[in-house]
Amino acid sequence: MKSPWILIVFSLFLCLSGFTRQRAHQVTIRFDHYVGQAPLQLSDTAYHNSFGEPFTVEQFKYYVSGIVLIAKDGAVQAVDAGPFLIDQADPASRLLPLSTSLSSLQSIRFIIGVDSITNTGGVKTGDLDPMLGMFWTWNTGYIYTRLEGQSDSAHAPAHRYTWDIGGYKPGINAARTVVMPLNGIKENLVIKVDLLRLFDGVHPVRISQNPVCHEPGELAMRLADNYATLFSSLP
Amino acid sequence: MVMVLAIAGVDNTQKPTPLSFPIPPGWPAPSYDFKKNPPTLQGFVLGRRLFYDERLSRDSTISCASCHQQFGAFATYEHSLSHGVGNTLTSRNAPALQNLAWQKEYMWDGGISHLDLQPLAPMTAVNEMGETVGNVLHKLRRDTGYQRMFKEAFGDTTINTQRMTKALSQFVLMLVSAQSKYDRVTRGKDSFLLPERLGYAIFQKKCSSCHKEPLFTDGSYRNIGLTLDNTLNDYGRMKITGSRQDSLKFKVPSLRNVAITHPYGHDGRFFSLLNVFDHYRKNMQLTLLTDTILQHRLPLSNFEIGQSTAFLNTLTDTAFLKNPFFAPPGYNITPMFIHRH
Ligand code: HEC
Ligand code: HEC
Repeated sequence: MKSPWILIVFSLFLCLSGFTRQRAHQVTIRFDHYVGQAPLQLSDTAYHNSFGEPFTVEQFKYYVSGIVLIAKDGAVQAVDAGPFLIDQADPASRLLPLSTSLSSLQSIRFIIGVDSITNTGGVKTGDLDPMLGMFWTWNTGYIYTRLEGQSDSAHAPAHRYTWDIGGYKPGINAARTVVMPLNGIKENLVIKVDLLRLFDGVHPVRISQNPVCHEPGELAMRLADNYATLFSSLP
Repeated sequence: MVMVLAIAGVDNTQKPTPLSFPIPPGWPAPSYDFKKNPPTLQGFVLGRRLFYDERLSRDSTISCASCHQQFGAFATYEHSLSHGVGNTLTSRNAPALQNLAWQKEYMWDGGISHLDLQPLAPMTAVNEMGETVGNVLHKLRRDTGYQRMFKEAFGDTTINTQRMTKALSQFVLMLVSAQSKYDRVTRGKDSFLLPERLGYAIFQKKCSSCHKEPLFTDGSYRNIGLTLDNTLNDYGRMKITGSRQDSLKFKVPSLRNVAITHPYGHDGRFFSLLNVFDHYRKNMQLTLLTDTILQHRLPLSNFEIGQSTAFLNTLTDTAFLKNPFFAPPGYNITPMFIHRH
């Protein structure tokens, strides 16, 4: 501490802010992945989408960023330290402990994907490390959502379907904003993520017709519209 | 542009030694953001070590330098396509690596928007180094030499993707070529011979709208009337933008050191400069998407081709090709067959 004044001013500030605002408290968000009503299992379990196409899931990951909490009185607070990579294979990644000073929460808003500056700003660390494979090396940009597995409907090598969805440029920006009511939830928010909606949430996307999505563009945009519909809050 | 280096006196406990980036007189400001990755001697030396290290590939056979050779201005000398791991071939011609700090996008189609991201593409491509970034980091972390070098360059022994790629950038950014005869002439320190001077005039009239001085590229993507090779099916810029207008557009390459970077073109289809001239003057396929500047091809007489070639030869930068600072650690390369002055 360079000077005692800094300490005094700082503690004064702490006291004052204590009077005017709620104390910061923890809100934990948990993402629970489902296929319809069944909790998602990686690899061996076979599911069916609404077109009757069978599929297994080997990987399911996505980026969540720009988390904002909105209070009943209209106050808005960005609580983001993300982007966070949510990965079915890593249970710890599905829990996001956040800190907020808002009480009586009304709703939550977040983005599936990352912003364009993050896309082009060089090599990042942590959840954004390109080493994690959520990155296109030959056509710069993050993969926002990745769903991969096998399907007898996939007429691609080894009957694999691979959906790597992303894109940040104007016109093909696959980032989507999700807004959800919080129904008076105070501390632990459980978000249900229903994978089935990725096939038909807005646009019908059949594995038989589109086993592969490996670049930004029209198909990625349709899948992005669909992934914006995956989320709902569990009571 | 003299790089003065105090290599002596570097030890573990010292802060890395800042390295100033040479901006040749009269050149524009570089596009690379040096504030986010300030070059240091230790970072450069680490980057050079990585650049020459075959362990960056799956089977330890291929380094960056296998495809980017100093005596070929860091292109692959005399190869239309380069060799990757396990008898594979790249699908494009390896470009010279020079003056990268002035580029905004990389690759022939501009698909990579930041120099630090560039190494991840060859590392992970099955027809280049065929490795995963995770494995490369694993190999580096086990090597005490690298632990020491990362510590010297970045302050501690953490080895991650970001540091590795920043170090590689620090090396390749220093590959500045600006000491050719052309540069000496523009700085008033030398003069062109008659054919070179005539060739320069032709160049300024017919070529420099795309191959813009002093970098000899304007960084744009152009369709110069190339036909599609039906084994490679490479539509260039269109793959990145998804726009049909960009079909068969490729980045205008710099022509610095062009005399030694043959074969030419994004897939190395032109064996010699004469083939390139013949393309511009007669072989071009004119379509609606061909660049407007080239709608009437580029008429060139044999004399003009001779003079233009004489001019292009003045872009060879021997000091760059032989700079021991860029050579593999402990080498002083000058292969016998490169003797250009
Ligand atoms: C197997 C051969 C090969 C290897 C190994 C290789 N490169 Fe390349 N490099 C190429 C080719 C081919 C291109 C052009 C690719 C394209 O345009 O699609 C290229 C392009 C580049 C570019 C962009 C240049 C420009 O003007 O746009 C840079 C920078 C580069 N390489 C650096 C590296 C580094 C650093 C490494 C090592 C991590 C490396 N390369 C390894 C073949 C290789
Ligand atoms: C309309 C823009 C334009 C004009 C005008 C133009 N070029 Fe090019 N040049 C290009 C592009 C784009 C390429 C890359 C072509 C490809 O995809 O292979 C290129 C490639 C080349 C190459 C191959 C370089 C390499 O490393 O592969 C040479 C040599 C060359 N041009 C010389 C010339 C000369 C000499 C002139 C004038 C007579 C000229 N160019 C005029 C756009 C242009």
